[in-house]
Amino acid sequence: MIPTISATALSRRYRDQIALDDVSLTIEPGTVTGLLGRNGAGKTTLMRIVTGLEFPTAGDLRVFGEVPAENDAVLRRMVFVREEQVYPDFQVRHAIRVASWFYPNWSEDLAGQLMADFAIPPRRRIKRLSRGMRSAVGIVIGLAARAELTLFDEPYAGLDAVARQLFYDRLLAEFAEHPRTIVLSTHLIDEVADLLEHVVMLDHGRVVLDAPADDVRGTGMTVSGPATAVEEFVAGRTVWHRQRLGSRASVTVADSLDFAEQAKARAMNLSLEPLSLQQLLVHAAGVSADEKVSA
Amino acid sequence: MPALDDGTPLFVQIAEQLADDIVDGTLAEGARVPSTNELAAFYRINPATAAKGINLLVDDGVVEKRRGIGMFVAAGAQEQLRAGRRKRFAEQYVDPMLAEANRLRIDTDTLVSLIRGPGWHNGGSRP
Amino acid sequence: MNTLVNVARYHLVERIAWLAMPWGILAFSFLVNAVIAATAPVPAHGFYTGGLASIYVFLLICGALSMSRSLPFGMMLGVSRRTYYLGTGLLVLVMGVVFGLVLTLLQLVERASNGWGLRLHFFQVPWIMDGPWYQTWLTSFVLLVLFALYGVWYGLVFRRWSLLGLVTFIAAQMVVALLAVVAISLSHDWSAVGHFFTALTAVALTGVLAVIAAAMGAGGLSTIRRVTV
Repeated sequence: MIPTISATALSRRYRDQIALDDVSLTIEPGTVTGLLGRNGAGKTTLMRIVTGLEFPTAGDLRVFGEVPAENDAVLRRMVFVREEQVYPDFQVRHAIRVASWFYPNWSEDLAGQLMADFAIPPRRRIKRLSRGMRSAVGIVIGLAARAELTLFDEPYAGLDAVARQLFYDRLLAEFAEHPRTIVLSTHLIDEVADLLEHVVMLDHGRVVLDAPADDVRGTGMTVSGPATAVEEFVAGRTVWHRQRLGSRASVTVADSLDFAEQAKARAMNLSLEPLSLQQLLVHAAGVSADEKVSA
Repeated sequence: MPALDDGTPLFVQIAEQLADDIVDGTLAEGARVPSTNELAAFYRINPATAAKGINLLVDDGVVEKRRGIGMFVAAGAQEQLRAGRRKRFAEQYVDPMLAEANRLRIDTDTLVSLIRGPGWHNGGSRP
Repeated sequence: MNTLVNVARYHLVERIAWLAMPWGILAFSFLVNAVIAATAPVPAHGFYTGGLASIYVFLLICGALSMSRSLPFGMMLGVSRRTYYLGTGLLVLVMGVVFGLVLTLLQLVERASNGWGLRLHFFQVPWIMDGPWYQTWLTSFVLLVLFALYGVWYGLVFRRWSLLGLVTFIAAQMVVALLAVVAISLSHDWSAVGHFFTALTAVALTGVLAVIAAAMGAGGLSTIRRVTV
């Protein structure tokens, strides 16, 4: 099967910075992939190259097996919803109508339902909408397009927690009923963690993690308890983070622990706490949680 | 939404929860198992993850596919799951309990009487 | 082809910009001139105005806006730059034909009514739009397309290289014009230029304008190739 997206040694340099550095990855059809990383990690640049908005400096990028830039046959099969999308000075309903012309699978019903869900006033000029409402317009178009490849880049600037949950629910329902390839870039990692099937993490333009979400979950445990027991237990393991308070220690290890190991830890009176996806990615990026908090 | 616990892979947790329902009879033998999409919507997880969870049960023969209709709890599933869980009972529940009892210097007789009956809830020290 | 039509339709969603404004401004210009013609003493050859230029200038603005404001949303919807440009060009061509026809009809009415009864020559421009109706139509069409594509090019230059690029673009055009003047002056060939223009018929001029319009199109198409939004 042809991967929906495949990048090989892809790089994008600007005059004084490297946005993407030797990125190689594949995204399989019919999956929900989380494109994660800190601000400036290269997520947006990658999505811009995928959608033909930007050109690579080196390397190869293919979508549906073809180079996407200026390739109508490929471009028309995708929709790119991004933060701060620029719209012409027209009303919401105009944007929706125009979008419907370009997508053969466009669902008028879904668009109408989503408009109602997010309470978007159809006759309001887009530039007069609040930030959150403008984001919602992008979400409506992105979902109703039912494009084979749907890319969301921080699609919910200004949306509150309730509206974001609505987005996740609709996204899941749509994905279940009309499977497509979805790439979701966000820094609200724990919110989307369970929706993802695959996780790609970028840091300083490089891929630092590219794995099925199920494999990522459960990698990384924080072991805490009496310092001597903790140190005995973690000996020989990859340690990400180490903390001590008096005679107690708390050590984060990179490995996943099987059932026997977990039982052994409990027998040693150690407590185990799995890392959330967010914590994991913080470690994967080589930045300890404490540093990030104090940064 | 029922909270899913981190640590173990999500699909394993889905399988566990369905197995729980089968063991306590909420999902009777022959009953239809929720579809992948229903599970995905309920737990707010990726449908592929839900499918993986159900497939664990299918592989164990606890759930069976009926083409074109859906997934159903297999005959004998409840007993099969119980048997499996009985085997794991000792290491999952008894071993940790004994370890803790040992730490607290609760001897075996006290432990047994604690299990046997009420009146010992004050931590094993005789009234 | 279908996508080209959709791009053209997309622009027309802003009916006010592409349809109402050009004619509204032209109507306003016409009214002002009509009032002057009705109140001022009539010159020997009647009133000639430059008011018709307003519609061309407005199409230039529309062209520029189509690239600065409408392009990003078009590209969000999976339209390539080239297709977006060609779709916009299609709209420009169709509008050139329709607007040109309307201008031609108005000129016919103007002629038949002796300048709206005021000896006002608003739609009739000496020499260039003074011939038979089909020639007026053709020239109007070419001029409308020329101005719109020129505007499109400005919009693209701005989008690709921003303000500095725009200034450079304008400066470059001035330099080209200046070099031409210098070159002609150095070769003492102004008489040849004069001959060229006196020998030039309105139809030939339309041909020259069409070539320039085509150059604008080629320039815009090459500029949009690497525009980022």
